[in-house]
Amino acid sequence: MDELLYNFTDWLRSTPLNDLALTISETQATAWIGEHFWAIPIFQVIHILAIAGSFAAVLMMNLRVFGFAGHATLSETAHRYSRVLWWSLAALIFSGFLMIIGEPVRELVNPYFWIKMILVVVGILVAVLFARNLARQAEVAGGGVRSAALLLVVLWLLIMWCGRWIAYAPV
Amino acid sequence: MYPEPTNIWERIEYSSLGTTIAESTWMFPTIETIHVFALVTVIGTIALVDLRLIGVKGHALRVSQLARDTLPWTWGAFVLAAITGTLLWVSKASSYMINPYFLAKMALLALAGLNMMYFHMTTWRTVDHWELDPSFPAAAKVAGWLSLIFWVGVIFTGRAIGFTLGIFY
Repeated sequence: MDELLYNFTDWLRSTPLNDLALTISETQATAWIGEHFWAIPIFQVIHILAIAGSFAAVLMMNLRVFGFAGHATLSETAHRYSRVLWWSLAALIFSGFLMIIGEPVRELVNPYFWIKMILVVVGILVAVLFARNLARQAEVAGGGVRSAALLLVVLWLLIMWCGRWIAYAPV
Repeated sequence: MYPEPTNIWERIEYSSLGTTIAESTWMFPTIETIHVFALVTVIGTIALVDLRLIGVKGHALRVSQLARDTLPWTWGAFVLAAITGTLLWVSKASSYMINPYFLAKMALLALAGLNMMYFHMTTWRTVDHWELDPSFPAAAKVAGWLSLIFWVGVIFTGRAIGFTLGIFY
């Protein structure tokens, strides 16, 4: 596994992403972040809070779909928590960009980062379709919505896994 | 191998559990990842209730119903965060115990717990009387704000540990 990831890193180094990362790292924005010790930790705090918001939203929709949390119709639940989800996603993407500008090489030339990006694109697509369908469900969620709900939790866990492991990528 | 422990924290760190985690290439990051799964669940579910308490409505759900939906998950995830956190701590106990951010994190966790206990023993007992009011009692809003501040503080100090571990001796 390490071997595979190492080769992935090596391959990333041979792509234009390497030059892009180096170009970004020469900007004033990157320099400013580098000079301020607390900038990166603060971006990470915003990122973690946004993950907390988005994961809680995904979790609460799941609980309602599978009947572990009651008190509202599926459409009300979808409406309520998809708003939490979209705002959290906006904060996630924003803080993620700041982290890329802060440490371009660490992020852009990193196998976990790109696995995570693929999962994020899939995750957002599934989330949009799921939230839209949940709002149209009758009182009991259908099989498709249930599968999508579970898939969304798994995707979110994998995204968090890759996010944490960016720091541990073999280079 | 390991030097003779000079205090209780080193004794814990040099235990077979501590050295097993510290010496493994994958155990610390894996436990850390599970810690992340747990803590985002704790803070995400708590924040949903806190935001409701401070007046972010956006939905018709009663705050007592929201709390009933979220609390079992908050507690379950908290137990998981505590177990994984303890395992991470054991592997570097003596470094954590001299890190001011780790100590501040523990203090903030205690404050968050005390705030929650106080709120549950006072204002929350009469939630049935005020949850349908257009505006919640000041004590509920204060508890919500304090909880948000303490938990954001827990995240900040928790993240700061990773940037400062080993620079304090």
